[in-house]
Amino acid sequence: MNDDNDDIVQIRSLEKYFGEGKNRVSVLDDVSLDIRKGSLFTFLGPSGCGKTTTLRCVAGLEKPEKGTIKIGGDVVFSSQDRINVPTNRRPIGMVFQSYAVWPHMTVFENVAFPLMVRHRPWQEIKKKVTEVLEIVGLQGLEERPAPKLSGGQQQRVAFARALVNEPRVMLLDEPLSNLDAKLRELMRFEIKALQRRLNITTIFVTHDQSEALAISDRIAVMSAGKIVEVGAPESLYSKPKTRFTATFLGQTNMSEGRVLASLTQTAQPTRIETKSGTLSFTPTTALKSNQKASISIRPEHIQIMAEKPDEPENVLEGTVKEVVFMGDSYHCQVAVGDWILLVKTQVFTGRGLGERVFLHLNPHFCTCFPADEKEFIE
Amino acid sequence: MSRFLNFQTLILTGCILLVFYLAILPLFMLLYGSVRSAPPGDTGAFFTFKNYFEAYFDLDFYRLTLNSILFSLGSCFLTLLIGSYLAWVSERTNTPFKKMFVILALIPFIIPGILNTISWILLLNPRTGMVNVLLQELLNIRTGPFNIYSLSGMIWVESIHHYPLAFLLMSAAFRNMDTSMEEASLVAGAGNLKTFRHVTLPLVRPALFSVALLIFIQAIEAFEVPALLGIPAKISVFTSKIFLAVHQFPPNYGLASSYAVTLLVISMTGVFLYTRIARRGENYATVTGKNYRPRVIDLGRWKYVTATSAILIFFIAAVVPALVMLWTSFAPYYGIAFDQYFEKMTLDNYISVLKYPLVGIAFRNSFYLSLGAATLVMLLSSVIAWITIKSRIRGRQYLDYLAFSPIAIPGIVLGISLLWVYLTLPIPVYGTIWILLLAYLTKFMPYGMRASSSSMIQIHKELEEAAYASGGTWFQTFRKIILPLLVPGFVAGWIYVSIVSLRELSTSILLYSHDSMVLSVLTFDFFDAGRHTYAAALGVLMMLLLLTMAFAARLLGARIGIVNK
Repeated sequence: MNDDNDDIVQIRSLEKYFGEGKNRVSVLDDVSLDIRKGSLFTFLGPSGCGKTTTLRCVAGLEKPEKGTIKIGGDVVFSSQDRINVPTNRRPIGMVFQSYAVWPHMTVFENVAFPLMVRHRPWQEIKKKVTEVLEIVGLQGLEERPAPKLSGGQQQRVAFARALVNEPRVMLLDEPLSNLDAKLRELMRFEIKALQRRLNITTIFVTHDQSEALAISDRIAVMSAGKIVEVGAPESLYSKPKTRFTATFLGQTNMSEGRVLASLTQTAQPTRIETKSGTLSFTPTTALKSNQKASISIRPEHIQIMAEKPDEPENVLEGTVKEVVFMGDSYHCQVAVGDWILLVKTQVFTGRGLGERVFLHLNPHFCTCFPADEKEFIE
Repeated sequence: MSRFLNFQTLILTGCILLVFYLAILPLFMLLYGSVRSAPPGDTGAFFTFKNYFEAYFDLDFYRLTLNSILFSLGSCFLTLLIGSYLAWVSERTNTPFKKMFVILALIPFIIPGILNTISWILLLNPRTGMVNVLLQELLNIRTGPFNIYSLSGMIWVESIHHYPLAFLLMSAAFRNMDTSMEEASLVAGAGNLKTFRHVTLPLVRPALFSVALLIFIQAIEAFEVPALLGIPAKISVFTSKIFLAVHQFPPNYGLASSYAVTLLVISMTGVFLYTRIARRGENYATVTGKNYRPRVIDLGRWKYVTATSAILIFFIAAVVPALVMLWTSFAPYYGIAFDQYFEKMTLDNYISVLKYPLVGIAFRNSFYLSLGAATLVMLLSSVIAWITIKSRIRGRQYLDYLAFSPIAIPGIVLGISLLWVYLTLPIPVYGTIWILLLAYLTKFMPYGMRASSSSMIQIHKELEEAAYASGGTWFQTFRKIILPLLVPGFVAGWIYVSIVSLRELSTSILLYSHDSMVLSVLTFDFFDAGRHTYAAALGVLMMLLLLTMAFAARLLGARIGIVNK
């Protein structure tokens, strides 16, 4: 808790259970996070991993059993001090998965609600609602009844309603999951642009890894109620510290083996002995020599060549099993012994099936993690 | 600081306490009263089991029990027979006009039980009944062939009034049934009749049984028919016996209470069994899966027979009582010969009735009570439904049971229970309109709960959470989000409760006084005093009021419904 000024949301050792007695299931297990002011922070994970529950705890819609939550330095929940500020007194705005636009109200009434319930003067309400509707691009639709809006418009109303009271944190619970694919991609950019423009701290919950990578400043990867890894999208993607992150964030090639001792006593080991030979990697997590481990590299980080390249290490020889043209790239399956690697490449020199090729697994992009990491895989 | 004493806590606790007060206190006081030696308020009273001895060691008790069971079983059988037949005809055959059946079946609902009973007496009284008189003249016989003052007469009047419930419930059972099961039987080589016996009947049996139980409970709680037909015919059942014990001089509250406890136990057992069977029945219906278009049996020429019979039943149940009331209300005196009727038709009955000071009081009271009870029941049940469905307050399912429990209290039992409450406790509502309002609140709370719960379930929880996340308090959220979204269910429940409040007789008859006279009781009194034409005129006015209310509420509901869309 050293960066008190910059971390607008602080979550400490959150624990939550559902059910009682024998049926008790842990849904959050020691979740701690710091979210920087003005950043877009994403909770990413498969369904049931606890990402929505964590968000709802921040909102005060769920009550954790243990832990502390601070928003802007103020404690809003503390199991120890028995503090639980009700949702309506937390400085938040929230966009729900179903948008939750009230069907018995117009666009204006929906957006004005957060100001109405705080008894703001009419002039102010009118001005702020107009402003925020302009921000989300709904000007002119003030008097439209909510049920007569399209899905995209409803979502904009939900955003406007969440923004209108200038919350310290915006909470977005899978806001894009109900839109069709095209609109979803468009809204990604809009949300990102809006968040940057207003510089508003935003927590975004999603199970879609490409959405998370595209939109976030930082991502917390979650699984089975635990935080698996927190980091910026680029580093999580290319240098995952865990097998779970590596597989959940996209396709990857993995091979098991045994870590070789490092050359000096103090340095981290950087080589692994696999069935396909000795491979070098860039360490991201602590490994002991002789430990069972998996090396991992993304398909687009592998170079495929017809001739043996002039590289000192990580060159494998294999045969082309399958080539698929995907429009913007080729996806090739290359067999190196019984290890089938997926390679994505923009230029493919037209070598046919069964041809001999060479693969270069750039050590900079190779990561390695312990093989016995099972706790995150359900 | 205001964490424990805010508005939300106040309203929620208030409503929970109110439900306790309305549903539990009367029963507790009834039990208390049944073991007291003297009427409420008597300072010399002591605890005793005398009332139970007096009740159970009397041969009358067993005659009474037997009558109650025969009457209820008979009504149950006849009601089910009519209801299931119509349901089968309308759901499973190609009978013409069957789409109108549901609407036709709802019409008798507008006719209060007291008016239905009166009109059948006017028709089938052995000496003066219109049908009997007509048949005597036509067939040249001395005595009328029908006697309404008999067990079969009672069963007939009860059944013809209550068959719509059996019809609607059995229609739903037939509709929910997966007809591919019947088709499979036909493919296997069984004919229509065999399929009905071996497949259809076993499939609807759970529904049939639960509906039968419901009708049985309704019949054993029935008051109008036992009071107006049973008492003159000397066929006593529980409800009429309780009524007589309170209305004799001096009233025997203790004896009435011990009978009431017995009746309560019977009806509670019935309701308990019903809820268990109904729940199992629902499972039965849902496992059948997809909704297929029901297979319709081609009846050939028989379809005209089924159509005629169905329309005849609707006619007898709805049109005949209304016409009889109308006819009698214009008659100069009861029992006028048919050939003189149109010459001597008169408005005198209406004029006299409207001049009668008590009639004005009754209209005003009934109107206020009906609006008040409907509004309060729906507001209370909305809050309770929020607690039982949306909140996570511990023990909320018990609150649901509690709010629903008055369904098992027969009207006359509720009446005597409330007598004990307000003659014992120092709350000065006895003899005023307020005791009736409290009675209606208790009695109709279950109906309100049903309407409120089913619409509360349909409100997505995020709509409510969005209001909290917008900074709304619980009360703001309830008032501005939940209640407006509940409107369709609220209006439907409100209409229902306002109509049943206006018809209510069995509870009111023990609790009314001169100043708190209501329409149903006044009609009963007119008829009881032999002023049949007055009763008919008042009955017609009452039906007009009910029709206007139902119509106005429908218009209002439709308008709100459009806004809500």
